[in-house]
Amino acid sequence: MHKLVYILFFIVFATQAQTKMNNIEATALKTKVKALANTTQTISSDFVQYKHLDFLDNDIKTSGKLAFKAPDIVKWEYINPFKYSILFKDETLFINDEGNKSNVDIGSNKMFKKLNKLIISSVKGDMFDTTEFTIEYFKKDNNSLVYFSPKNEKFSKYIQTFQITFNEKGDVIEIKMIEPSQDYTKIVFTNKKLNTTLDNAIFTH
Amino acid sequence: MRYLLISVCFFCFGCASFSKKNNFNPVITTSNISNPYFANTSLDYIYKANIEVYDNTFGGIFIVKKLGEQQHRIVFTTEMGNKLFDFSFNKDQFKVNYILEDLDKKILINILNKDFKVLITENLKTEETYSFHSETIKKTKLSNKTYYYFETPELSQVIRANNQKEKVRFLFTKINDNIAQHIEIIHSNIKLKISLKSIN
Repeated sequence: MHKLVYILFFIVFATQAQTKMNNIEATALKTKVKALANTTQTISSDFVQYKHLDFLDNDIKTSGKLAFKAPDIVKWEYINPFKYSILFKDETLFINDEGNKSNVDIGSNKMFKKLNKLIISSVKGDMFDTTEFTIEYFKKDNNSLVYFSPKNEKFSKYIQTFQITFNEKGDVIEIKMIEPSQDYTKIVFTNKKLNTTLDNAIFTH
Repeated sequence: MRYLLISVCFFCFGCASFSKKNNFNPVITTSNISNPYFANTSLDYIYKANIEVYDNTFGGIFIVKKLGEQQHRIVFTTEMGNKLFDFSFNKDQFKVNYILEDLDKKILINILNKDFKVLITENLKTEETYSFHSETIKKTKLSNKTYYYFETPELSQVIRANNQKEKVRFLFTKINDNIAQHIEIIHSNIKLKISLKSIN
């Protein structure tokens, strides 16, 4: 009987490389992430995006580059297999869809302002706002994994949970956005650099 | 009386079919219509989409998957992966699995349903056949609407017509191995154009 319990325990432990954090660990992570986010003036990174739809044989893979400059300039650019970029700058959303340029004034548009804020806070991982999200903390190998589930009903119809993976330094290495249908979008960052000087030309439309 | 005759003549002429108006020559064939572009269950069909509706243009990713005999799933997402709509087609049944609240308009859903049904319907019964230059044109009915399928010999164009008038035109170009790399859906009675470019 004892053996059986051990075996069961071992199986449960082995299959759950992801364990819940205690309060002290969660607070420590939050402090680390916030400290890093507050000192981040620029971010440049490559990314690969995997769109998972349950009925497809393969995830849809797209890749590109991210550039951020404090306080709120963000460029999110797809390079493969198509060229498409969005740039938030000067209260405007600039879109370049394979050379077709357009822009949206976001000064008066609450939804786009929120999107701008959401992209910045998610790439920094600083979404620890308990009025907006239900938050759960996990340890996964040497990394940390945090689930942010929107409390707003309209928002949660769109995205049920943001699962953000942080490395040991408290930097975001992966974002997974899970829809209520359980389909998801996963973004994996590589070659991420913080606080390097970014040429202004990156942020021209 | 003379006016009546003239108006009857005018009426008859006015009602001439789309095929007559365009000088298509009737020919006798018995072969039916086959659309191979979304017919392979082992493929994920992924397109970069561009939609021009009235004066707005927006892009996204258009995904089609054949799941079984006369069974398809069609999903449209933004480039960033957010789902805008998700439809299931199962024989004559159509189901909206998801649609963004802002797009949840019956008239729009009906148009998309009708358009996508043309994309995914593989086999249709030919009612009449015509030739025009080097093309074979086959007339058929789909959901009680009249369509003309243009073959060169591969399917290059579909036109939905009401009496004389063209309503919607589907263009299939850059065809390679039963995949249309480029698809355009152009509406003539409303300002709507959907352009699809294969990315896989």
